[in-house]
Amino acid sequence: MSIVTTDTFSWYQVTRLVKQGTGRVTLGIGDGANDVGMIQEADIGVGISGVEGMQAVMASDFSVSQFRFLERLLVVHGHWCYKRIAQMVCYFFYKNIAFGLTLFYFEAFTGFSGQSVYDDLYMILFNVVLTSMPVISLGVFEQDVSSDVCLEFPTLYQQGPRNLFFDWYRILGWMGNGLYSSIVIFVLNVIIFYDQAFRAEGQTTDMAILGTIMFTCIICAVNFQISLIMSHYTWIQHFLIWLSVLTWFLFLFVYGMLSPTYSKNVFQILTEALAPAPVYWTATLLVTIACTLPYLAHISLQRCFQPMDHHIIQEIKYLKKDEKDKVMWKREKTKAREKTKFGFTARVDAYIRSLRGRLHKKTHSLKSKDGNPS
Amino acid sequence: MSSNTPSSSAGGVGSADSAAPRRNSKRPKYSKFTQQELPACKPILTPRWVISAFMLVSIVFIPIGVVSLFASRDVVEIVDRYETACVPDNFRNDKVSFIQNETTNKICTRNLTVPKRMKQPIYVYYQLDNFYQNHRRYVKSRSDSQLKDNSSWDDVSSCKPEDNANGMPIVPCGLIAWSLFNDTYNFSLNNQQLAVNKRGISWKSDRDSKFGSDVFPRNFQNGLLIGGKRLDPNVSLSEQEDLIVWMRTAALPTFRKLYGKIERDLQPNEVIQVTLENNYNTYSFNGKKRLVLSTTSWLGGKNDFLGIAYLTVGGLCFFLALSFTIVYLVKPRRLGDPSYLSWNRNPGGH
Repeated sequence: MSIVTTDTFSWYQVTRLVKQGTGRVTLGIGDGANDVGMIQEADIGVGISGVEGMQAVMASDFSVSQFRFLERLLVVHGHWCYKRIAQMVCYFFYKNIAFGLTLFYFEAFTGFSGQSVYDDLYMILFNVVLTSMPVISLGVFEQDVSSDVCLEFPTLYQQGPRNLFFDWYRILGWMGNGLYSSIVIFVLNVIIFYDQAFRAEGQTTDMAILGTIMFTCIICAVNFQISLIMSHYTWIQHFLIWLSVLTWFLFLFVYGMLSPTYSKNVFQILTEALAPAPVYWTATLLVTIACTLPYLAHISLQRCFQPMDHHIIQEIKYLKKDEKDKVMWKREKTKAREKTKFGFTARVDAYIRSLRGRLHKKTHSLKSKDGNPS
Repeated sequence: MSSNTPSSSAGGVGSADSAAPRRNSKRPKYSKFTQQELPACKPILTPRWVISAFMLVSIVFIPIGVVSLFASRDVVEIVDRYETACVPDNFRNDKVSFIQNETTNKICTRNLTVPKRMKQPIYVYYQLDNFYQNHRRYVKSRSDSQLKDNSSWDDVSSCKPEDNANGMPIVPCGLIAWSLFNDTYNFSLNNQQLAVNKRGISWKSDRDSKFGSDVFPRNFQNGLLIGGKRLDPNVSLSEQEDLIVWMRTAALPTFRKLYGKIERDLQPNEVIQVTLENNYNTYSFNGKKRLVLSTTSWLGGKNDFLGIAYLTVGGLCFFLALSFTIVYLVKPRRLGDPSYLSWNRNPGGH
């Protein structure tokens, strides 16, 4: 939409009208002191630092140094940011549900007395150290396609306004995944370590041991899950995922080395009880794979039957088809852009597009009916 | 895997313009990190990867499942539930008064038949059902500092209500110690006593570091209510292995605790006579008592579930690998096919 106005209206009134009238998210960009009102009124204010001073920059949410950088801000960084935040938030819900619900399930076995199966320090460290670093690296570094592809295919930006990655289907899907993971972690561990000995020397499981085993399964499952979500692996992501898992074992080891006055039930739990027990490692492997299997099946099916635009473009880049078939690449790039028009010509253009769409559907259905092109 | 080569820098301007240094003096220094152009591997989920992943999981899991199942099948276990059978008929309607009466005869004889050859060491456990050792109030009711060190013998603050008896602190205090299991078992085979080794049944770290060798029971089970076993005040806590085993609170309401080890082989069809003292009161809360004799394998006791779960997940992955192979053969989607792009599928507008 384009608006032309005279000096009688101030820009911030126009912005407010647009916001209220269309209900859309608005972006205002300006470089001078007279643009400050508009920048603050718009949902996203972009200030340009330059010849007219820094007032616009100080009032804005984002600032750039030249007007042409707006394209990159929107199409590259806006697109990446939207996806990163959506994935981060969904993952946060997932991992906390997977962890927290196991506590509630355990309550059913303690007469609902409020006894926690995990040591306090495990729960403190869960969100602070043990699972936070990979998801922060996801939020900072994740790229579904590289920046030049984003600039070549501005249509990919439309995934944001159409809210394809943070709709209810995704949110509830991730919460469901967390629920499923928590059930798998709890039920499998309780049945595997039920009442019999868990070691060749005949010792049976106690609460500290069951808690540590369940927590190990949670840490491994949750970190393995995030490695399946990421599509852009720098050395930082690799390092942080491995570091999170290793930190857990290192923490258990060090905590267990402290005097029993501090470590209480965790005293030497890894060195004496768990690490030499083969069932500990086999149970962890089983639970980790069982938790992430449905997600892997789901994304494989989705990629096969309903691939999204960025999936196709990723595959084209992976197979280097953009270099092999330059004609196709150029054609797709042109189709992904549209010249903006305004006023009467925009309406005519939209009508032509809808006619073309109806014609395309008709030829498609005719083709499928009698099998030969009409 | 393709790695991302650095593309043109952020400003859209090409190389630095050295002819006008003042114009570029404010430009931030380029670094791969700040421009988000770090080399990266971008794996994508091609059909080959999907099928290989599922096949790998099934190839790894199915043998592990088979091995675990065999290990569990090798374990021989004898379980005998005795809490109802060991109450004489005339007391069957009022078991609580039977157990609380100090004069009734609590000795009971049971016969166990060995089903298969059991190789030593054979572990003897007592199993309790419906006993919530994991209840919060119960778990808190102990004093670790008192157990560890004689100098803190009067630190009983966390042990209420079993902290003091007749005005003096109890060592060891708390509900956990107070409710120590006190049934005893004596085994004989062909009228010969079967020795039960009651040493080394607790965790070594407990014996060495959590229960002091200078701490002795004092004023124990001296109150109005006797909860369980009495402790010999001349034996230090680090050697009271029954207490140490009991004090490690169980995770679930059904649990087994190690009573001792029989260090000789048992042949099939041998009949073991068990002379047990049915002292412990589980009748007030409908708890069950069982005596368990079990061998162990490298995986532990008898539990088929691990093997079955591994086989199930491995089998499921194999089935998924097969289904994906069929799907990719029947309805293949050419990778990188631009006709799947949304503007080609739906050219009438987005």
